[in-house]
Amino acid sequence: MFRKYVVLLRMKYVEMFAYRLATIVWMTGAMVQPLITMMVWMNIDPHQENAFIFYFAALIFVERMTSAWDVWEMEREIREGTYSYQIVRPFHPIHLAIAENIVYKALFFVILVPVWSILAIFVPAMRLGQINGTQWLLFFCALLLGAVIRFLFSYMFGLLGFWITKVTAVYGMFEAVSLFLSGRIAPLSLLPPSVKTLSLYLPFRYMVGFPIEILNGDIRGLDIVFGFGWAVAWSLIFMLAVMLLWKAGLRKNQAVGG
Amino acid sequence: MRRYWRVFREFFRTCLVEELEYRSEFMGNLLSSLFGIGMAILTIKVFFYQTDHLGGWGYADVLLLLGIFNVLQGLIDFALRPNMSRLLQHIRTGTFDHILTKPVDSMFYVSFRHLVFWRLIDVLLGIGLMIYALIEKHYMPSVLDAAMFIVSIGAALVLIYALWMMLMTTSFWVIRIDDLSFVFNSFFETTRFPISMYRSWLRIVLTYVLPAAFITSTPALSLLGKWNGMTTIVSIILAGLFLWLSRRFWRYALRSYTSA
Repeated sequence: MFRKYVVLLRMKYVEMFAYRLATIVWMTGAMVQPLITMMVWMNIDPHQENAFIFYFAALIFVERMTSAWDVWEMEREIREGTYSYQIVRPFHPIHLAIAENIVYKALFFVILVPVWSILAIFVPAMRLGQINGTQWLLFFCALLLGAVIRFLFSYMFGLLGFWITKVTAVYGMFEAVSLFLSGRIAPLSLLPPSVKTLSLYLPFRYMVGFPIEILNGDIRGLDIVFGFGWAVAWSLIFMLAVMLLWKAGLRKNQAVGG
Repeated sequence: MRRYWRVFREFFRTCLVEELEYRSEFMGNLLSSLFGIGMAILTIKVFFYQTDHLGGWGYADVLLLLGIFNVLQGLIDFALRPNMSRLLQHIRTGTFDHILTKPVDSMFYVSFRHLVFWRLIDVLLGIGLMIYALIEKHYMPSVLDAAMFIVSIGAALVLIYALWMMLMTTSFWVIRIDDLSFVFNSFFETTRFPISMYRSWLRIVLTYVLPAAFITSTPALSLLGKWNGMTTIVSIILAGLFLWLSRRFWRYALRSYTSA
C-alpha cells in the first residue's frame, strides 16, 4: 500500500506541475470572497478589527487546507464514461483522489505558510505569539478532521453521480447553505443564536469554523471536547456512506455499462 | 451598425432555437436562480443582524445594490460568459482562423456568438429585488433620477464589456487556463457591496484602476436620487476609455496571433 502511494503521489505531483498556473490563479481567486467578507465585518464593528483580520486570514488558510473538488471531477468522469478506467484499476479510486488532495494541499501549505510569516511582520493582528502548544496540537487535529469530513462529503456526492445526473447542482446548494453554517460568512458567534446552535450539530462547522475557533481561543475546555466528538462522528458517518454508496454504485454502473 | 444589429438578431434566434431543445431544464434553472438570490439576501440579512448600516448605506439601499448586481451578473452570464471558453478552444485548436475570415468584426463575433437565455431569469429577479428595495425604502425615483440611472447603468455595461474583453483577450497567450472568467468573478464580487465600505487605497483602486465603483454603486445612488453630475460624467469618460483600451488590446493580440 505504501509503495502504491509513493507512485500515486509522484504521478499527481507531476500532473499538478502541468497545471501550476491554473492552480495559483484559482487559489488567489478563492481568497477574494473571504477578504471582502472581512472588510464588511471590519466596517460593521471597527473595534474588533484585529480579531476579524485574524479570523479571516485563518479562514483563508483553513479553506485551502480543507477544500474539496472531487465531486466536480467525478461528475464529469462518470458522465463521459472515463470513470470506468479508474474502476478497473487494482485499487480503490479513492486512493487516487486522496493522493491528489495530499499533493495539492502540501503545495498550498508551502505557499501559504511563508506568505503568512511575511504578512505577520507588517500586520500585528496576524502574529501567533499568544497561541500555546496544546492549542496548536488541537488545531492541527481539527484541521485534519475538517479536511477528512469535507473530502468524504464531496466524494459521497461524487458517488451519487451514479444515480443523479446533475449532482454538482445539488452539491452546490449544500455548499451555499454551508457558507452560513460553517463560519465563512461570519464567525459563528455573530450569527443569530438559533442558527449558531444548529451549526453545532451539522457537519459544516467542522469543515471550516471549528479549527479557527480553537486557534483564536473562542472555544475552550468542554466545548472543544464536544466539537471533536461531533467531528469524529460525522467523519465516521460519511466514511460509512462512501463505503455503502461505492458498493451499490458499482453494481449500478455495471448494469448501465453492460 | 445596422448590419451588426441584424447579425446579433440572427445569433439570438439560433441560440434560442438551440435552447428550446432543453426546455425541461427550465424548472431546475429557475429554482437554482431563486436559490441563488435567496442566499444573497440572507447574507445581507446576516450582516444587518449586527448593524443597521454598511458604509453609510441602509438595509434597503444595500438590497437595491444587490438587485443591480444580480441584473448585471445575469447579463454577463447571458451574453459574455458562454463565449469565454469557446474562444480559448478556438485559439487552442486553430479554428479561430475561420472567425477571422468572416465578414464581421472578430471582436464582436467572439463576444456575442453564444447566448444562454435562461440566465435572463436572474435579470428579472434582480429587477424584482430593485423594485422591492424601493418600496421598502418608500422612495419613488423622479424622472431625472431614472434618466441618471439609465445613463450610469449604460456606462456600467460598457465598462463590464471592456474589462471582460481585456481579460478574454489574454487567452491568446494564456491558453493553459480553462476558464479565465474566474478572474473576472473575483473582481466582480467586489461590486456586491457599496464602494464606501472599502477603505483608503483600496477604495481608490476600485474607483479608478478597476472601476468597480461605477458598476453598481453609481447606478444605485442615481436611482436613490443621490446622483451627482460630475460622477456620471466621469463614469461615461471611464467607460469610453476602457472600451478604447480593450479595442486596442484586441487589435494588438490579433497582430501577434500566429494560428495553431
